[in-house]
Amino acid sequence: MIHFVTPANAYQYRAEMEQVWRLRHAVFVEEKRWMDLARPDGREIDQFDTPEAIHVLAIEEGRVIGYSRLLPTTRPHLLSEVLPQLCEGDLPRGPDTWEWTRQAVARSHRARGKAINPVSLSLLAGILEWGMANGVRRLVLQMPTLYLLHVVQLHFRAHPLGLPQSIGGEDIIAATAEFDARTLARLHELRGDARSVLAPTYPYLAA
Amino acid sequence: MSRKALDQTLGFLRSLDRTASTDEVARLLLTEFADLGIAHVMAGTVPQRGTPARQQQGHVLVNTFPDAWGRRYLTRGYAFHDPTVRHLGLTTAPFAWRELGPRFADDAGARRVMNEAGDFQLRDGITIPLMTLDGGVAGFSLSGERLAMDPADRPMLHLVATYAFGHLLRLRGQTVSPEAARLAPREREALQWAAEGKTDWEIGEVMGISTHGVDFHLRSARTKLGTTNRTQAVAVALRRGLIH
Repeated sequence: MIHFVTPANAYQYRAEMEQVWRLRHAVFVEEKRWMDLARPDGREIDQFDTPEAIHVLAIEEGRVIGYSRLLPTTRPHLLSEVLPQLCEGDLPRGPDTWEWTRQAVARSHRARGKAINPVSLSLLAGILEWGMANGVRRLVLQMPTLYLLHVVQLHFRAHPLGLPQSIGGEDIIAATAEFDARTLARLHELRGDARSVLAPTYPYLAA
Repeated sequence: MSRKALDQTLGFLRSLDRTASTDEVARLLLTEFADLGIAHVMAGTVPQRGTPARQQQGHVLVNTFPDAWGRRYLTRGYAFHDPTVRHLGLTTAPFAWRELGPRFADDAGARRVMNEAGDFQLRDGITIPLMTLDGGVAGFSLSGERLAMDPADRPMLHLVATYAFGHLLRLRGQTVSPEAARLAPREREALQWAAEGKTDWEIGEVMGISTHGVDFHLRSARTKLGTTNRTQAVAVALRRGLIH
């Protein structure tokens, strides 16, 4: 199931968030060698992990097997602060636009021979369900140019923000990806399951 | 890269969005990139080694190669020797065909494909490696007799080819619906004669219409079938039992 962690419910996810920092360190520092993010305590936390950030967790039997971070574009985020060169025009900003970063799946849960694995599909389905319920209609992405094909294949409406640029030896492009019910339907089709991926929230939390 | 050049590229992507057939996509790309010397486009997923020629057709999303070259390429299984295809799985960066020459200098099969392609004015080209959502290795090639490209054009072509491939996959997803593949009687008749090897003029004589009219019906059939040339249209129509 996919869980959204915000300051309002973070007290319930202390142990899981601890797993998140370690998963991020394992994937982004130890595997992808983004050495700027290395921390001696093995917990990858950066300046954008503020109370404004929303943490999206894929949890299976108490174990965090996948993660994504959503940042509001109305506040400082990666594209505005770290990679502004990828956006040649105005930054896409607004309450309906969130930046999707730090997509990570535990090594044990990556499917072989597929460009995108079931955990990533669930995370994305969760983000879309959350977005459609909260007036969010587009994501800001920075990714290898190749992934633009997958974004289009997933029935997002992709708008590149600049031409691909070489960053750390990879061709990286920034784009916005607009989604709607068709995008979610496409994800349901790929997952072979149209049920909600969101973990139920307890009634007293909604009050 | 100037803001104007980017706007032009983004404008081009929006035009791609509005195309409804592979033919239209091919025409749009060839018009846009004519001044880079690009005369042909070819894109598809890479078939497993040993895939029969008939099934290899299904891997092609767009192909404007001369018919004679397309036929030879398929029947002789050139996809399995073509250095541009074999290089696809090894890199994620766009590569120029001429960069591959030295790598395949000792490979007779690869050299033969490249030399024969040259005979069809496909001497020069650039290929963009891709991978589909389900992990299939794919590529998008833009080629001609002699490309006039600047290194700075590569990121733009990388972006356009990646986007166009996604659009072509979406178009294919739509065209496999039986609704789209329903041919009008005249389209089916023209395609049936084409399958018998008749020329446009001969088909026109049999059907009592002009060569222009034949071209019109065949073009329309190609669009409905989501194919890019006569050979492919005949193959797809045969496979779907629309002609015999």
